[in-house]
Parts: sequence; C-alpha cells; structure tokens
Amino acid sequence: MIKEYPLSEYLNKFIELDNEHKNHTNIAFLSSFTINGLSETVQVKCNEKKIYCDTYAGGYNQFSQEILNLKSKLYDFSPNLTFLILDLRSVLGDLFFFPYSYTEKEKKELINSKLNELFEIITFFVKNSNSKLVLTNFNSPSYSSYGIASMKSNFNLKDMVLYMNKKLQEFTINKNSIFIFDFDAFVSKFGEKNVFNYQNYFFGDIKIDLDYIPYFANELIPYIIAQLGISKKCIVLDLDNTLWGGIVGEDGFDGIKLGPQLPGNTYLEFQKNLKALKNRGIILAINSKNNFNDAIQVINEHPNMILRKEDFSSIMINWNNKVSNMYEIAQELNIGLDSIVFFDDDPVNRELMRTSLPDILTVELPKDSSEYVNTLHELPEFSMFEITDEDSKRSEMYAQQQTRKEFEISTPNLEDLLRNLSLELIIKKSNNFTNPRISQLILKTNQFNLTTKRYTAEEILNFTNDENIIIGCAQVKDKFGDHGITGVFIIKKLNSNEWFLDTFLLSCRIIGREIEKGILNYIINEAKKNGIKIIKSQYVRTEKNTPIQDFLPNCGFKQINNFWEYDLNNAFNMPDFIKIEIE
Amino acid sequence: MSKKLYEIVAKIMKVSFSKINDNSGPKTIPSWTSFNGYVLLHELVSHYNVQFTIDEAMDVEKISDIKRHLKNHGVNLDD
Repeated sequence: MIKEYPLSEYLNKFIELDNEHKNHTNIAFLSSFTINGLSETVQVKCNEKKIYCDTYAGGYNQFSQEILNLKSKLYDFSPNLTFLILDLRSVLGDLFFFPYSYTEKEKKELINSKLNELFEIITFFVKNSNSKLVLTNFNSPSYSSYGIASMKSNFNLKDMVLYMNKKLQEFTINKNSIFIFDFDAFVSKFGEKNVFNYQNYFFGDIKIDLDYIPYFANELIPYIIAQLGISKKCIVLDLDNTLWGGIVGEDGFDGIKLGPQLPGNTYLEFQKNLKALKNRGIILAINSKNNFNDAIQVINEHPNMILRKEDFSSIMINWNNKVSNMYEIAQELNIGLDSIVFFDDDPVNRELMRTSLPDILTVELPKDSSEYVNTLHELPEFSMFEITDEDSKRSEMYAQQQTRKEFEISTPNLEDLLRNLSLELIIKKSNNFTNPRISQLILKTNQFNLTTKRYTAEEILNFTNDENIIIGCAQVKDKFGDHGITGVFIIKKLNSNEWFLDTFLLSCRIIGREIEKGILNYIINEAKKNGIKIIKSQYVRTEKNTPIQDFLPNCGFKQINNFWEYDLNNAFNMPDFIKIEIE
Repeated sequence: MSKKLYEIVAKIMKVSFSKINDNSGPKTIPSWTSFNGYVLLHELVSHYNVQFTIDEAMDVEKISDIKRHLKNHGVNLDD
C-alpha cells in the first residue's frame, strides 16, 4: 500500500497550489462530524492529477440545514459533486449505545424513520441542485456491550449496520445522481483502531484520524475522475518483467517466470487483474521491444498465459522507439494519448515516456513484482459511475475493428467498402436505459463533437423531460458486429420555424462511415414533419475537434454570421448504403 | 534552543521561524486555531514518538507548555 504523507504536508502544499488545469470541478463536503483538512487534501490530490477543483466545506453537522435552505452557501457554491459524510453515532443517537434496550421491531422502526428522514433531505438536494451526491455508508463497530454474546443476539449492532447499508443501497441503486461511498470497506481496509480513536473524538468530534484523512481523500478521487468523465480507456503494457518474469529473448520460452510458483504467480495474478479490467471495458495493448516471434509465441502458446492475442486491441512488438510505438497505438485505437496508462518495469523507458508524452499516465511500477497488483488496484484513473454494455463489449469491438481494417485493405474504394459493410443505424430516444451512455459520450467525446458541450447527467435528464428539447442517440451495427450507442444529438426548439442543433457527436470508433449523414437525415425528416423551415447550428472549435469542422458545410449548411443554417426546402443527400431504423 | 520544535510549529502554523518563541501560542499567532493546534500535537506525537493525554492537549496555551509536556515524556529538546 502506498504510504501517505501526514496531513500537515497537504495543508502546506495547499497554500502553493497553482490550479491552472483545464479540468475544473466544484466539490462540496458536508458531514456530521469534523472533517477539517479534507477539502485542502482533496484539492492537493486533484492538482497532482491535473484537476483544478474548488471546494466548499459545510459547517459542522449543518448538512440538513444547508441542504434544506435554498439560499445557503452550499447552493451559492453550485457544486458538481457533493460528498455527504455521515457516521453511525450521529445517525443512530441512543440506539448506537443501547441497541439491546429495544426489540427488533422497535429497532427497525427507529432505523427506518431515521433513514427516511435522511432520504427526504437527499431527495430535496438532488431535486434542487445539479450536483451528483456521494453518500457514505456506515461501518460496523467491533465493540459491543454484549461482548462475545453479541453474535448470539438477534438483530445486533452488526445486523443493524448491515440492514442500514442495504437500505442505502436500495435507495440509491436506480438513481442516476446518487452514489454510495463504501465507508465500511474503507474502515476494514485501514482498521477501525487506526481510523477512529477516542482522543480525536473527544477532542474535536474528529471521527477520521488526521493521519487517515489523506488516505480517505485518496478514496474520494475516483468519484471526481468519474464526475469529470476523464477516466482512462487503455492500458499499454511492456512484456518482459512486466507481464512475465525474465526476458524471453534471453531466458527462452521455457525460462520465463509465469505460473503458480513464486515469482511466476505474481505475474499470473497481475495478468488476471488486467483481464478483469479488460472484461469491464478497459482496452489492453502491448508496447514491447522484443523479437516479435519470441514474444508472440509466449502470448499464443505459453500454458500459463492468461492474456492471449485476442485480449490486446493493438500489438506493437518490435525494436522501434517506444514513444513512436505509442503514437501508433493511439492512432490505431483512435484514442487520445491522455486516455492511456503505461506499465513498464524499466525506469529508463518510463522516464522517456514521461518526458516525451506527458499526457500519458506512466505508472511508477515497483521493483518488487509482488506489488504490481496493488499498484494496479491503487489507480483511481479507471473509475466510472456506471459500466455500460458498450463498455464491457469495448475490447470485442476493437477486435472487430481489427478485422474491419484488414477488410478495408482488401477493398480499395471507400464507397464500395461502406456499401459492403451493411451499415445499420438505429435512432433511439433518451430514456433511463440510454441516458447513462448518452451522458458518457457527452462527457468523453472530443474529436467528432460539434460543440463539445459537457452536460451533466442531471441536465440530460432535464432535457429528456423538456418538451422544447429533443435528445436522442444512435446505435450502429455492421456486418462485423454491434458498435453499440455511438452517436448523440440534442436539438433545442427555438420557435415554430427554427430548431437549433445544440449537440452533435459521434464516437471516434465509427468516424468515416457517413453515419453522421444518417443521423442528420433523421433530424431533417423530423424537422420537416414539425413544419420547421431552418435548422441552425454552430461549430465550436477546440484543440481536438477538427474531424468535424467540415461536417456542416459538407451537409449543405450555409454560414450566416457565427451560425450555420440548413434550409429545409433543400433536398438532403442521404447515403443509400445506410439502413435506418427508428425505435 | 528548541529549533526542531520551533520548525514544526512554524510549518504547521505557516509562520516564519523567526516569529516563534516560547510565548508563542493561539494569542500571538492568528493561524493557531483549535484545529491547527490539534494538527500540531499530532505532528509532535509522530516526531517525538510520545502520546499526550487529553489533559495535556487541553493545557497547551503557548510553546513553553508543549516543552514542559515533552520534557515530562522524557524528550530532550536541547537540539
């Protein structure tokens, strides 16, 4: 486990923050006990990850008042993300100390009443704010006045905590804006006697020891990364001494260390953890200086390899510079360098990568391979609020992409290629099923994105319910497989004659198939049905969205001042090789 | 001299080393809030490997009080 600096280090670093980063978010901390030092520590940790965050720390145990007062500083601050950090003593009151003075029925009634009160407050906040809310669950205290007999008693304190945590989960599971922070797991990880001590508690109602505030702050960072939609998409791996022990070119196929015995088991476990990430949608790639045949033989044939060729979406095994290989991997996968995490045991390679490509997160891999798994577990960069179907199919989609590329090479004419792809476009409305993916695309798509407006999940939900706004998405299939939902559009109805195309984006993996024309064709047809004369839009240039810069003129939009306008009297040239279905 | 102790106080209270003396405390250093006072005690516990009682923690009004408690715990401050 990474050893943390003391809180005082963070309080001092906090004074010197530069906060000049493009990713910006407002974070509020509300709590039932003293959490001084937490907001400063989170700001420092965000700064280390190139995130500029402003923070608001609510008054001591004032969370109800601040939430219920729409004129409070909390609402003035307008957080994007709010942590509500509660503790069992504050919520349970006397029930915490005297649980055995009540019957099971009384205990459940009391708990339900307290939780319902809490849920009402949370619901009020979510309705009146654009913030996502992260609520801590409760840790189970190890002490019981019943001592060893407590486990024989019905609905004991542990049962009560389990019951409460289950209720919290049930309350939040279908709510897009509310998430649980597993405080119980945090206390288990670091130990109750470390996180909580009575001197802190009596001195200032400090229920997380000052030494553990930095560890606690670490555990909050994944939520911030997820809220900003800046999670990493791809892990690029070295091979020798990274995926297996030893050097295949020197030690040979039979000489490398990979298997159930030490030290091969450390690499085996590392590979299993990488495979689990791949299965949830993180793309894996190889960047290794090696003889291709030696390395690929291990990947294909070694009996203890967990990761096989089909698990990698890009494979660069050669003697080229690793930096140029990395560019090729990013290009091949059509992802930004800032979406990549790099693992390499060689400190020289790591330094080279950090210096040449600072946008890539190059992990400081420890010398001891038994620490590899821990290092992977400690990375918050893969955090997402929700894993969608598209995420879990991503690697499969990239494998299909490889097949498509081979197919493209054998089909020289682009139109012939597209015609032979059997493209299908399914237009879907925004709803509870599609909104998580719509939100994800809006937060993450950079290249084929007309205006790069980053709407929150709450705003998307509001758009869905707004009759003056049309929000939809597009699923794309071809003969090689299903790309999933890869396009989003948002139309604002300006008046009875004009619509405004506010957002139009496609995932980078389907650019170049004229899918955008299929979606626009749908929008134009809908506009005509509604008697609209003009569709307006705007191209907002960013560092990354040049692929979409000619989209509007290419589709017949004319520039008028700062806007582009499409006259619906004009016929739209829709590619005939795309089959459109409307759900 | 209690150079190391003064350095710790200066770091936690974010004041210049030259402004620290045995009479420094919440009354003379504005940043010496009750929370920073507690962070300071925490830092001293780690640095000198001692454990203050809650009475000792409550008793601190100036640096000389800290020195007295540290000496009672066997810490030699002649650095």
